[in-house]
Amino acid sequence: MNTIEERLWNYIDGSCSEEERKAIDILITQDEAYRSKFEELLNFDSHLAKMGMDEPSMGFTFKVMEGIRAEEALKPLHARINKNIIKGIGGFFIITILFFVVYMLATTHIAPVNLSKGLSNGLKLPEGIKMPDLKNYFNKPVLEAFFCVDVVLGLFLFDAYLRRKKVSKQILK
Amino acid sequence: MQSKLSDIELIEQVLAGNQAAYADLVKRHQRFIFTLALRFSKNREDAEEIAQDCFIKAYRSLASFQKQSKFSTWLYSIVYTTAMTFLRKKRLDTDSIDDENTYIQLENQSSALGNNMAEIKSRSHYLNQAIAQLLPDDAAIISLFYMGEQSLEEIGQALGIEANTVKVKLFRARQRLKEKLEKNLKGEVKELI
Repeated sequence: MNTIEERLWNYIDGSCSEEERKAIDILITQDEAYRSKFEELLNFDSHLAKMGMDEPSMGFTFKVMEGIRAEEALKPLHARINKNIIKGIGGFFIITILFFVVYMLATTHIAPVNLSKGLSNGLKLPEGIKMPDLKNYFNKPVLEAFFCVDVVLGLFLFDAYLRRKKVSKQILK
Repeated sequence: MQSKLSDIELIEQVLAGNQAAYADLVKRHQRFIFTLALRFSKNREDAEEIAQDCFIKAYRSLASFQKQSKFSTWLYSIVYTTAMTFLRKKRLDTDSIDDENTYIQLENQSSALGNNMAEIKSRSHYLNQAIAQLLPDDAAIISLFYMGEQSLEEIGQALGIEANTVKVKLFRARQRLKEKLEKNLKGEVKELI
């Protein structure tokens, strides 16, 4: 059996049945004890509903977001590394190789050849084909430029890694 | 300025890679999450730690949020488990919330401020103080029901209990709160209850 207070709380919270609600309506209007208890509980309920909330510190949101960033920074390097950088470096090498292949093929002089003569002379290259001199392509300036680009890309990756490390250290302090 | 987007819209933005949208979600719910954490920990520093931890955990598992319940309900369930883990770690005796220090502090304040204290300080302040003396579960149920505007079903979902159990617990929590207020404010209690 519910106590008066329990029944009234259910009535105030709206968690009682329709029948119960009607019965309590009547009791409140007719029974002084019920009415006084009801008013008391209703007053208490309204104060609870108006209750203020506590404020966290000013920088709370910032701290949460920094915490999230720190977590992200703590992920292993292979998981965090920007895949575009890897793709970019890969692309650079593929394009460089392709460029050299195309360039070599384009500059290779091919003249009409007498194949039968060529075969009879063993495995020698046909007379019409002249192999390009590799020294012309891999000369000093080209190699220097190639290594320079490699060094720049390497430094760029290393710098990105050091920056992340520094940021994660600062956050954890 | 807070975003006018709904919680679900903000979550979708976060999941699409817009981390800044999560800051809006934090701003929107931080007061209540902090208050709830404070109900459990009874200490502002610990409450901030719990609330921060809760938001970080929520971010981490945002992709697993089913969107069937309210984001706030999901968040409260995280606060509850985070706070419980935190309290266990700190080995706080949650059964002795009638903490002597808390009560002594309240009594000192009462005698220092005199009889017109109720006029000087807000009713909300006394209610919050009395709630701070309740058991964490009681305090959480009262906070969820009144501040979080959660239904009995939603509270049950957040705390992992039946709605009927929540109803009974809420009734008992309110009774205990009244007792605390009567004890703390003596004559002035009639203004509050």
